[in-house]
Amino acid sequence: MKKLNKLVLIALLLSFLPGFLFAKGQQEKPKVTFYWALYDGLTEDFRANLQNAFMKANPDIKLDIVPVPWKNMHDKITTSLAGGNPPEISVIGTRWLLELMGLNAVDEVTPYVSKATLDNIAPGAMEAKIKGKLMGLPVAAGARIMAINTSITTKVPMTMEELEKDAMAVNDPPKVYGLIMPGKKHTELTDFAYYLLAAGGYFFDINSDGSYGKCAVNSPAGVKALTFMNKLANVDKVVQKGYLSMDRMGSHPVFYAGKAAYVFIGAWVESAMKQANAKFKVKYAQIPPFAGNKSTPLIITDSIAIFKDAKYKKEAGKFLDFFYQDKWKAKFDELVGFPPVTISASKLPQFQSPLYKALGVAALNARGWPLMEGWAEYSDIIWDANQKVFLGQMTPKAALDEAAAKIDKARGM
Amino acid sequence: MADRVIIGKRSKWWNEETRLAYLLLFPAVFVLVAFMFYPIVYVFLMSFFNADKLGRLRAFSGLKNYRTLLATKEFWKVTGRSIIWTAVGVFSKTIFGLVIALLLNVEYRGRKFSRMLFIVPWASAVPISAMLWMWVYNPEFGLLNYTLEVTGLWKNPPIWLGKPISAFVACMWVDIWIGIPFMALVFLAGMQSIPSERYESAYIDGVNSVQKFFYITIPGIGELLMIATLLSSLWTFNDFNVIYILTRGGPANSTNILITSVYQYGFEWLKFNTASVMAVVTFLILSVVSIIYAGIYFKREGE
Repeated sequence: MKKLNKLVLIALLLSFLPGFLFAKGQQEKPKVTFYWALYDGLTEDFRANLQNAFMKANPDIKLDIVPVPWKNMHDKITTSLAGGNPPEISVIGTRWLLELMGLNAVDEVTPYVSKATLDNIAPGAMEAKIKGKLMGLPVAAGARIMAINTSITTKVPMTMEELEKDAMAVNDPPKVYGLIMPGKKHTELTDFAYYLLAAGGYFFDINSDGSYGKCAVNSPAGVKALTFMNKLANVDKVVQKGYLSMDRMGSHPVFYAGKAAYVFIGAWVESAMKQANAKFKVKYAQIPPFAGNKSTPLIITDSIAIFKDAKYKKEAGKFLDFFYQDKWKAKFDELVGFPPVTISASKLPQFQSPLYKALGVAALNARGWPLMEGWAEYSDIIWDANQKVFLGQMTPKAALDEAAAKIDKARGM
Repeated sequence: MADRVIIGKRSKWWNEETRLAYLLLFPAVFVLVAFMFYPIVYVFLMSFFNADKLGRLRAFSGLKNYRTLLATKEFWKVTGRSIIWTAVGVFSKTIFGLVIALLLNVEYRGRKFSRMLFIVPWASAVPISAMLWMWVYNPEFGLLNYTLEVTGLWKNPPIWLGKPISAFVACMWVDIWIGIPFMALVFLAGMQSIPSERYESAYIDGVNSVQKFFYITIPGIGELLMIATLLSSLWTFNDFNVIYILTRGGPANSTNILITSVYQYGFEWLKFNTASVMAVVTFLILSVVSIIYAGIYFKREGE
């Protein structure tokens, strides 16, 4: 009897022992977890080298850089927050900030990062400064541009109408496509955004106080944009075969393979082409507006946020200071192709190429995503409207009216 | 006398042997409670509450979440699609599984190698299989359309994942492909347990192959058939990976089933109220199916 009681006690102790050991291990060495977005062009070597170099320089801190595919990042952060186990830091889309702030999940960056690091960041890149508080450190900020495969055409269309003509002129499927257009839903709504902005539209009306009004995707500009996209895909048939089953990651390789004349793309184009061993030359230009409109490219910014409930925020700040040195951050920018957000890196020779010049021009007139809670859902609703039109299930006007009504209802308007 | 009964009862539940049993059961029960019952109970609770964007309960809302969701057309569409997905998927896996098990049960050279080959789809991780098929279906670089075009079997093959019906069929095929080996292996094990004397005496009585299959093989594997189809129904209904990886529920939501919708509402849109109601509905549907199966199974066992 006594023996059995002892056995029960030992078994209970043994079952909890790993927990005690784990807790002890954590006390000994703080562990910083960083959700690392797998941008196109980023290599595993760079991630591993950065992690090892930081731990070598800071032997008292353990760093775990967790690679996360970009399309899974939002879900990964949400599940870790819901599970009460957020990372110390993570790359986030700056447009998710309000949602994360609404959950009281993120902390102000300023107390944890050195003044030298903050002073070295271009003030224009500080999109995550909300009500005077810096809630995320900019990690990537890039406007979208148009890349042209010069082995197919050298023509630079100045309007969307010209682009349509030029794409039709070179279109010879399945050998050559005029233009790349992803039609499968993915995390970002980029393609509709390019055409919507080119038509002078935006996703929401902007109230006089700067807040967002009703959804405006069904405005004449929105309808014009979607009608034009549908024409390119289903009437002119100048986009890649099977565009409806290809998201961005699936369709851009068709351009890298030298099979398309034009693509709307981000700064990663050069490094992605290098990785795909593309041999042809590329020319860069601005995404053209529709005739009579002014050029308005899309700009996308991502930030690194510090999570409020994380254990080792001070150590995380130390890592950010380390990462934002030119040795690492400039190399990161070079790999992913984004224009540098740090002042010192922007002066380096590798960032003076035609690509970066085009990106610089694009950034001047660019517009970003709406900074609002619930954008992930609204973006999905607009995607569905796009796909219903591509599938011939609805007209652009009807699909966008339906989407706008759904979004307004979801926002309680 | 009364004392004796009480002592007898106590000793029945708490003696040296039962204590050891409790001790050995403790880890499994602890894990089950922590990782199975707690989340299930929490999801049930959440469906009756207003939850915040992290799924924390805020205020009791009664049946409001249920009324809101059940009033939407999309929910019924998705539920209907889930039932079709499961029914067609399980039926196909059963038929293919039976045919393959019969083939693997025949004596021939290379039988062991064939058995090994058939287990590959089941042995590989589902997300990897789904990603492999995503490339097979790729309209530009994919093996399937290339083969169909080059061999002249289909000059203009469909964009498999780009249209609602073909995308649903393509996803279903991948789910079937992954699920066949399990069915085949279970049926094969059942077939091997049927005494060969039955087939021999049937042969002497002049019974043909089809009759042998329906009167000896099928009754011989009847119980396994029930269990395998029940398990397959539960897995197929809850198969998230294939659809999420191949289409993410698209195009235009045409391949969304209940389990992918739960994920979409919960983790993409942070609408945990709707997600929890959908999860409860899924749980109830699967519970009903399990109870019906169990009823039939135990009734047969009793006979």
